[in-house]
Formats: sequence, C-alpha cells, structure tokens
Amino acid sequence: MNPRFRRRTGLGAALASPLAFTACGRTPVQPPEHVSQAEIDEAMHTPTELDFWTWVPGIEKQVALFEEAYPDITVDVTNAAQGAGHYAKIRTALRAGRGAPDVAQVEFQLVPSFSITNHLLDLRPYGAGELEDRFVDWVWAQVTGANGEVWAIPQDTGPLGMLYRTDLFEAHGIEVPETWEAFADAARALHEADPEVYLTNFPPSQGAFFSASLWQAGADPFGGSDGPDLKVDLTSEAAQRVTSYWADLVAEGVVSTDPDFSDQWYQAANRGKYATWLTAAWGPVFLQDTAASTSGKWRAAPLPQWEAGSQVSGNWGGSTSAVFNITEHPIQAAVFAQFINTDPESTKAMATEQYLFPPTKALLEDPEFTGLELEFYGGQRVNEVFAQISETVSPEFQWSPFQDQVYADYGATVGTAIAEGADAVAALQDWQDRIAEYAEFQGFTVEES
Amino acid sequence: MSATTPDAGRRPRRAKRSTLLTVAMLVAVLYFLLPLFWLFVASTKSSADLFSTFGLWFAGENGLFTNIGNTFTQDDGVFARWLGNTLLYAVASAAGGAVLAALGGYGFAKYRFKGNQAMFMGVLGAMAVPSTALAIPTYLLFSQAGLVDTPWAIILPSMASHPFGLYFMRIYADSAVPDSLIESGRIDGAGEFRIFFQVTGRLLTPAIATVLLFMLVQTWNNYFLPLIMLNDPDLYPITVGLANWQGQASASGGASGDLVPLVVTGSLVSVLPLIVAFLFLQRYWTTGLVSGSVKQ
Amino acid sequence: MTADTTSKAPLTPRIGRIAKRGKAAGGKGPRYAKAGYLFVAPFMIAFTAMFLVPLLYAAWFSLFREQMIGGNVFVGLENYTRAFTDPLLLEGLGRVALFFLLQVPLMLAFALLFALALDSGLLRLAKTVRLGIFLPYAVPSVVAALMWGFLYGPDFGPIAQLADRIGATAPDFLGADLMLGSIANIVFWEFTGYNMILLYAALRAIPTELYEAASVDGAGAWRTAWSIKIPLLRPAIVLCSIFSIIGSFQLFNEPSVMRTLAPNVIVADYTPNLYAYNLAFVGQEYNYAAAVSFVLGFVIMAGSYVFMLATNRRSRS
Repeated sequence: MNPRFRRRTGLGAALASPLAFTACGRTPVQPPEHVSQAEIDEAMHTPTELDFWTWVPGIEKQVALFEEAYPDITVDVTNAAQGAGHYAKIRTALRAGRGAPDVAQVEFQLVPSFSITNHLLDLRPYGAGELEDRFVDWVWAQVTGANGEVWAIPQDTGPLGMLYRTDLFEAHGIEVPETWEAFADAARALHEADPEVYLTNFPPSQGAFFSASLWQAGADPFGGSDGPDLKVDLTSEAAQRVTSYWADLVAEGVVSTDPDFSDQWYQAANRGKYATWLTAAWGPVFLQDTAASTSGKWRAAPLPQWEAGSQVSGNWGGSTSAVFNITEHPIQAAVFAQFINTDPESTKAMATEQYLFPPTKALLEDPEFTGLELEFYGGQRVNEVFAQISETVSPEFQWSPFQDQVYADYGATVGTAIAEGADAVAALQDWQDRIAEYAEFQGFTVEES
Repeated sequence: MSATTPDAGRRPRRAKRSTLLTVAMLVAVLYFLLPLFWLFVASTKSSADLFSTFGLWFAGENGLFTNIGNTFTQDDGVFARWLGNTLLYAVASAAGGAVLAALGGYGFAKYRFKGNQAMFMGVLGAMAVPSTALAIPTYLLFSQAGLVDTPWAIILPSMASHPFGLYFMRIYADSAVPDSLIESGRIDGAGEFRIFFQVTGRLLTPAIATVLLFMLVQTWNNYFLPLIMLNDPDLYPITVGLANWQGQASASGGASGDLVPLVVTGSLVSVLPLIVAFLFLQRYWTTGLVSGSVKQ
Repeated sequence: MTADTTSKAPLTPRIGRIAKRGKAAGGKGPRYAKAGYLFVAPFMIAFTAMFLVPLLYAAWFSLFREQMIGGNVFVGLENYTRAFTDPLLLEGLGRVALFFLLQVPLMLAFALLFALALDSGLLRLAKTVRLGIFLPYAVPSVVAALMWGFLYGPDFGPIAQLADRIGATAPDFLGADLMLGSIANIVFWEFTGYNMILLYAALRAIPTELYEAASVDGAGAWRTAWSIKIPLLRPAIVLCSIFSIIGSFQLFNEPSVMRTLAPNVIVADYTPNLYAYNLAFVGQEYNYAAAVSFVLGFVIMAGSYVFMLATNRRSRS
C-alpha cells in the first residue's frame, strides 16, 4: 500500500485535551494530485476489506457485482440505522477517529455537512472527475464543491412530480391541475364535494418536501454561500409565495396535515383520504407497495406550476455514495463508490430491482427503463413522466452546510405555524433567525438578505 | 432477622375481605394489563387487520405463529441474535453489578473509614446528571479504549452506573448483618473477607437476588446506551433492533417487506421473558425488598 | 422514563438511616478501615471508570465550543450563560416542571392507595393484583410508548374505534393540547406499580405492635391507614418523590417515541433531555449539549434538595 495513504495513529495521549478528539485528533488522507492506473491496479489486487454503511434494501446485489469484478476486495454491508440515526452514528465515529465506515450512503442535502467539516475524500484523483458527462447536470451540481471537488457519487434522485387518483378526479369532475392556482381551486372543490377527501396532504414537519417546493419556486435560500461565508435568504418573494400558498390552503381546511410516513398516513393513503401525493420519483413504486389496495387508480403527472406554461421542478431526496477521508483504503473505496453507481449492470439493477430513480443519462434514456408500464398506474409509463420531469429541475439550488438543522428549525417554526394556523410568513423570519444564530455559533460569517 | 414472605401471615387477620375493594382493584389491574392484552391481540394479526379491525379483539385468522416465524426469519434470523445479545448483556451486567453492589454495600454499611459518607453520597448524587451528558464523552473514551461496538461497551457501564444497587445493598447489609456475627468471626481469627464469603455474605442472599433481578430488567430494557455505543446490527439488543425495524418500516412503508407486524410481535417476544421471570421469581424479589427493612 | 432508566431500581424506604447512622458499624480503627476500602474498591473503581471519568470529561468538554468553521475554541462558562438564557431550554424546563406537578402527585397517590389496599388484608386475589399492577415495569419504555401510541391512534386506535362506534369523537390524544397528558399517562402506566411495590415493602416493615395497639382501640382499616401507616411511610414517600423528580426532569424515551407520531407537537426541544440529544446529534453542538445536560443536572439536584428541606421542615413543625 502506498505509504502516503497510511493512516497516522497519533491517538495516544488524546485524553489530555478535548482538542485531541476533534480536528487535530487524526490526520485524514490527503488526496494526491493524480493516482496512476498502475497504483489503482495494484490496490485493487491487494486483499482489502471495506466497510459500507447504507440502508438501501438489497444493495448486496450491487456489492456482489463489485466483488465479482474485484475478487480481492471484500465489502461488509452494515445497516446500522436509517436517516438521522445513520448520520449520528457516522458523525460520532468520525469524531472518535475510529469505527467509521470507508464508504457510506449520504443523501444529497447532507453532502455539504460532511465536506465542510473536512471528512470527505475528494474523488477526482481516483477518476471521478471524468464521470461528469454521465450524470444529469443538476445532479452533478449537488455533489461537486466550489473548487470542482467531487465529494460523492450520485446513486439515485427524486425529481418532484404528482401522483393522483384518477377515479376520485373523475368522480368529482376535476381536471389534472397544471398550475398551483388550479390546484388550489381543485382542493376547495374536492373537499366541498366530499368532506372525507382532501386533494392532498401537506406534511407540516417534512422539511425536505418544503425545500423541494422552494426549489421549484425558484428560491435558492443558501445560494452563493461559500465555505465560511453563509448567505441566508428564507424570506424571499418566492419563499413567501410557497409558504402563504400552503398556509392558506391549510387554514381553509381543504388540505390535511398528517405527518407523512406515519401509520396514520399509510392508512389514510389506503383509505383514499388523499387524492394526490406530491412526491418524488421514488414515490410511485413506494406507493404501489404501501397502498396496494388502490391499484389501478393512480396516475402520474408533472407538478403544478407557478406560471402557466412553464415546466420546472425541484428535487426531494436521493442519495450518494461518499468516501470518508479516514479510510485506510482510499483507492479501493473510491473505486467501489464509482463502480456501484456507474457500472451498467449495477445501475440497471438499482433502477429496475430496487426502484431507485437513476441519476445517469444512460438509464434515463434507456427505453427498457422509460418504457416500463406499471399496472398500479393503469399501465402508464411512469418512469417516462419522471424522466421528463428530471430534465426540468433547475441546477440553481444550493444546500446549506447543516441541512438537518435547517429542517429541524423548519419544523419548529414555519411547519408548526402552517399546521396551527399561525402567521406562517412571519415564521419564515423566525426560521431564518434561528439558522443565522446557529450558523454564527458554528463560526460562519452570516449574510442575511 | 425474619425473612418472611410478604403473604405468609405476618400478622393475624381479623378483617373481613372486602368485595368492593377487590372489584375496584381488579378494575385497576385491567387498566394496567390492557396495553399488554392489546400487544398480544396485535401479534396475531396481519398488517392489514392491524389497522382495519378492532384493536382489542382478535381478527378472523390467527397469525400469531406466522408472525413469530417471520420475526425470527427476517434478515437471516437476526432477531434470535438480538435476543441472545440481550440475554448476554443483561445477565453479565446483572451478575457483575450484583457482586460489586454486594461487596460495596457491605463495605459502606459495616466499616468506618475516611470518606465513607462522602463517597456514598457522591455516588447517589451522580444520578441527577442525565445520561445525554455522558453519551458523547463516554463514546469518545470508550473508543480510545477500543471498546466501542463490542459487548463490553454495554456490560461495563451497566454494571456500575446504576447506584441504586449499591444503595439497596447498604441498607440491607446494615440491618440484616449483625455486628456480633462479624465480631465472633474475628475472635475465631478469620480475616474480613473470609467472614464475608463464609458467613455474613450469605445473609445478603435475598438482597442479592433482588438487585440481580432489578438490574436484569434495567439492562434488558436499556435503549439509549446501546443505541449510542453499537453500530453493528449483529450486536444490537432487542430494543435497538426493534427500533431499527420500526424506523425501516416507517421510512419505507411496505417497500422493504411488511415490518409492522414484526415490530409488534418482536415487542411481545421481548417482554415475555421478563414477565415469566417476574412470575417465577416473585417470591425472591418480594422477600428481598421487604426483609431489607424488617429489622429495626 | 429517563434515557437510561436509572430510576428503575430497588430500594427500601430507610433513607433516613443513612444520614444519621448513630450506631457504630462493625469495624473501627485503622485495621478495619483497610478492609472497608477493599470492600468498596471494586465498585468505586468501576464507578469511577464508567461514570465519574466520563462525567468529568463532559464537564471539561462543556467549556469549549467546537465550530464547523474555526475548530475548537475555549469559551469558559459561555455555554452555561447561553443555557441560562436559552428560551428553548427554559421552555422545556417549564414543561417538565408542569409534567411533574401534573403526573407525580397522581401517580404516587394511586401507588399509595394500591399499597395500602394490598396491605390492608381486605383484598382477595392480592397476589394477582400485585403482580398485575407491577407488570408494566417489565416493559421497556420504548415498547410502552409504542403500544400507547397505537392505542391513541386517531383513526385506527381502539379508543377512537370505540368512540366511533357509539357515535362520539375520541379526543385528539396526540394533539398539542393533550400530548403532555398522554405522555403522563404512559409514565403513570409504567411506574405506578414500581412505586406501589416500594411503598408496599415499606408498609410491611412497620412493626406489628403498632397495628395491634390500634385494633385494640377499635380503629378500622381506613383509620389505621390514615393515622398510623401514612405518617410512618413519610420517608418512603419522600424517596419516591425524589426519584420522580429525577424521572420527570429527565423525561426522554416516551416523547422521543411519540415524536414520530406528532412531529409538530413534540418539537426538538420538548423536554430538556430531548433538547440536549438533538443539540448533540442533529445540530452537532456537542459542547453546548453537555452544558445543557449539566444545567439540567443542577436543576434536578436543587429541586430534590428544596423538596427534602420542605418536607423536613413540615415534619418538624
């Protein structure tokens, strides 16, 4: 193994100061300018064990393909927790300097939270720089740093669209709304016609959905932030428009506010309480499994638009594979992260067996993928709908370096205000204030607008 | 000292049994058993029935054995591992903790030495600090010692960070071990530890059984510590494992298999051993609790 | 009911005796002092390594602030001054104080009532009753919260189903107005039996002669309970109350499970302990989280101390 990658273990007297446990506790891998093919070949023939943390069910399939291609490398897959618990475990292990995985699933919105603390390995020297053309533009923009670093390899995405109950729409004479205005009218009409049914459910603590909505509306609250300089603009016109739109519909009582992914919400979806689900590209197959009793009644369509005739969307969810720079095997880890997300067989299995919506251009244009007809949607080619939506997602959207905190603060301010009928637009300012205060404690220079 | 069992007629009963009081108490018992009854009923249902049929009565088909079977085969039978881990953690920390508490409690009760009182009060006072304060520091320290993600990360802290075992043993030893017994041992020329292991220690048996049982429950039900300390699902105890399934169930709905009935059934299976332990050991723990305070 | 369930532990109600043990213990003098140290050494060593060292480390840790930008800074007591003026922490403290006032008197009153009933000899099936009420203690608090979450469910919970059947609407147990009460009920369910057992054990320890004197005087069961048993139970009740102060102020597991059911009602700072957890694991403010935990610890110690003072004074007057 190249001695440059050797992990230094200066952990001995670390007890002496808390400093020792944090930034200075260990020396992460300094990626070289370039890694030659010979070095890569040598590493890939060195017996190695990699730790890979993910909660994607059935990822063992992709791992097996990798191990087949590189028989000297063994990958241990661990599903320690989902979402917040997953990141909490990774962060504590990274702080301790040991026990962290080599490679982990990291959602797009949290990639910057790991790169700002210098925990990610820049994958450019390991060949990732050449992958740009394979991925959709706006997706690639999510994983690259200000200086062109490649912090992670995209695995799947979630362009936002709309799933709707065609039977309920027909029964009440509702046209598929193409604008948010039409959507609001439909919400009122539908709820008046059948008080048991809501056109949609607005999950008031779902920060990720709200962010995607801001994205669609053209708000870019953290756009222009760069390292220690943080820009926050949550009170923009676009953000106010989105907020007051949902606050009004909730206040009128024509949209429900159940927490999503809760038992109650699953039951309601089965019962037909919601006539639409505004969701991401991973939603269609998800719904097919969770609301099986409503098979055949659903269809997919693009999201309603703020301006008639335009076609724009945002993104909700999706993950990457990131390599942590504490790894002892940077080459192997980097190759693994690239392999499972670019190898044709591996990515195809992700799209067609695990139903992760692909970020690669090749698959989005693959007729076998887009031509898939889903029974649950009356034989509609749902993938095609979302592949088209994917093209309309703006690349102009930047995550904050602490997006989980942003979501938590959203739930406590704007989300609660919408749910409880308080002044939600004023709550946007509370949200911004909380974030600005937090950012200052974290040492950022905050510029509010 | 009289180690009577609580119901062995400690005093003559002349009072007539009251039907009214009995009925009132049975109503209270109903309230306390209701959620457990729900848990049992729910374990017999499929996911669909769980949400669509009346919660407090059985649905048409009995799926209990299907659910139990599925619980034990999900993820290559990881649930059985969790059960085994829980048993290991609980038994090891309870046994270790009871020994430490018995020695320490006896020492605090029967010996005068400088700092006795201060140390004892310090141990009791420490429990006011919530364990969230300790989560990160303990993790970092354990990580340096290479203990994180090993069974030791659960067993060692569980043995010593629950001061009540010590407190209880001290009170018990204070009243159950007569000083004269120690004195006569000394006159016979026995060393302090020989006196303890051969004579006085035996008097502590009911208290040791009690501490053992209560520490067993504590570690069996502990959630926070293993949640922080363990990353390998193969090392999880039941509580963390079930919470992980629960998270998976709500994050993915039906997409990764129907986990909701497994969480419910797994909860039932996890509670059963403790209930059985309480039933069968009832005589011991109630004896320990009561006789600890009998002697004036 | 707390994060680590330390309050689930056995005890007998003799707290008074530790503070003022007049009687000489077995060993005196330096010869036996050494044996005393040896006896307590294993526990004290384990306690120091597993509890005290992390505690001191946490205290040291709370004097720093580790920033995403700029790394680790020594800030002295700044985290503490921030905590004392942090509206989110103060709000959480207010909430658990209210919880304590609502829940604990009711729980202890019922525990006392049950213990007296068990002890009265008036009861049939006393063993079954005792075990039935105590059984919830064997249920992990995470599972308890999960079960009650189902029972509270607004659409599919049995309470809502029953109400629906008789044409009524069940109250919204998971709404903002009732949530604290719903959590209080879960804690009541888990710990009433535990407190009952402790009080019952204390009752059984009361010397028989006192009862005999009373029954000779012709006092009935209720009068005996009121004028003899309850006053003698005072130290045990005080102890149960202090455990409940600790349990209430450290409330964590139940709200953390209920949060998935009502994320907008149970916000990240709903209880101080939940707040500390979220500061550390969501906001990565590890140092401040430690300071918040210590502030909570101080509040608990102060609260317990004031409570003991108050009950002592009253017993003297």
